[in-house]
Amino acid sequence: MADEIATIISSLGLSNEAFLAIVLLAFVVIGAIIVIVASRPILDIYPYLQPNARVRARKGRLFDEKQISELVDANNVDDVTNYLRGSPDYAEHLDEYPLEKALDVQLGETYDMVARLAPSSVQSSFKVLAKQSDIDNIKSLLIAKEAGLDKEATEELLIPAGSLYEDISRLSDAETVTDVVAGLDGTEYAPVLEEVIPQYENTGMVLPFESALNKYYLEKLLKSTESPADENTQILYSYIGNQVDVANIKLILRAKADGLDYDAISPYMISNGYQLREWKLKDLMESQDVTGVISSLEGTKYADVLTELLPEYNETGSVAIFEKALDKFLVDSAKSASMKKPIGIGPIIGYLSQKEVEIRNLKVIARAKREADFPVSRLREMLV
Amino acid sequence: MVEIALGTALAAIGAGVAIGFAGLGSGLGQGMAAAGSVGAVAEDNDMFARGIIFSALPETQAIYGFLIAILLLVFSGLLGGGSGLSTTAGIVAIGVGASIGFAGLGSGMGQGIAAASSVGAIVEDTDMFARGIIFSALPETQAIYGFLIAILLMVFGGILA
Repeated sequence: MADEIATIISSLGLSNEAFLAIVLLAFVVIGAIIVIVASRPILDIYPYLQPNARVRARKGRLFDEKQISELVDANNVDDVTNYLRGSPDYAEHLDEYPLEKALDVQLGETYDMVARLAPSSVQSSFKVLAKQSDIDNIKSLLIAKEAGLDKEATEELLIPAGSLYEDISRLSDAETVTDVVAGLDGTEYAPVLEEVIPQYENTGMVLPFESALNKYYLEKLLKSTESPADENTQILYSYIGNQVDVANIKLILRAKADGLDYDAISPYMISNGYQLREWKLKDLMESQDVTGVISSLEGTKYADVLTELLPEYNETGSVAIFEKALDKFLVDSAKSASMKKPIGIGPIIGYLSQKEVEIRNLKVIARAKREADFPVSRLREMLV
Repeated sequence: MVEIALGTALAAIGAGVAIGFAGLGSGLGQGMAAAGSVGAVAEDNDMFARGIIFSALPETQAIYGFLIAILLLVFSGLLGGGSGLSTTAGIVAIGVGASIGFAGLGSGMGQGIAAASSVGAIVEDTDMFARGIIFSALPETQAIYGFLIAILLMVFGGILA
């Protein structure tokens, strides 16, 4: 055998050294190909490993159904506060702030934490999500000034979270709403707010500011994800896109319930949603009433959620049932998205969504427990 | 200059492939498991010991590759001054190295991914520890197959005879 191989080598005109070099080269090439092919999935996974472990650790600290049930059965809001002191995530804020404010601070910190941890390919979207705290603070500031609240009362409404908290807090001694808008000059929100000052001056209501901020936030959020480059960003796009579509549908439903027409609604719409593109949104806004909106949604996934509630709406006349169903749809779709990429963006989306639900539920519980004899069964219905 | 027989030189390539690729897989796997563990420990100090266990799991592939490489070096005469290998046995030695090298590469990477996921699952729910170990141990089998075949090749290919 050895002689045969040696004969073949010599018949090829190769020396032993040359043959060895060729074998070596072949191994290097084959090895390089294998390493490149095998490394590709690793490169996708690697940036998510540490963030995923961190968010999953926090996910493990979220309240389960049994704990939420115990909170629902609490006697009063003090019991709820004491119960939450047992959770390290809430305890530190409860020593400093009232219950609802502590919950808002926790949520703001969660957005900031996720924005810090998220891998660079998706970080911009989570940074936009973290702007929610700033936007909420600006809204609170505007409402406070419209109501003529003084500095101390205004500061109590602000949530110490978000990148602009210091700047916004400094504006709490502003005299008027327009002073607040002027004080925000230099921030990304100034042009958004200045544009609707004429509407505010005409109506005397801060609603146009709130709507403009909501629209700006959701458009920016959608824009941050609209060019998905891989499966992770595709999932993120769908998660955020659903939120934008749901915000649009809720706005249209409420507007139609109030009898508003296309011209009144269209300035507040995010013009090009995720599944609901411009033409579809136009259809929805031109519908005669709530039933017409639901019919126009046929063919979209939102119709499946809303159509079955029409009889109940016809009985009660309240669009709140649609809003609750849409909220549940968002939670379910986030849960489904979180399972699609378990070593990718899935756990981050899953945690963020569940944390939002937890805070929302805790706020509902806190509010209910402040009222004497609030029925527990009614409270359970109100939870998401 | 030391004269080395062609078969011995081929066995040296086999040894390099054995530890090179097995070590690469083990390193990538361990890196992934450790990255997940660091994240877990950052949130929960009690995860340190469990994180170490899962980070150590993908070490085995490098150990298999190292053992095979040492055996090849000893029995090819590179270490210990033996008589050297025939060209045929040298080619077999490359197969030996490829067997554990590539099996270790895939096994190490797979184990690293499973271990990192397990760490994430455990930090969320400590009851997942035993199940995490089982799932993380599964990709070990490929490295064991590669190791066994490498041993068989050495025995029946005339290297360990």
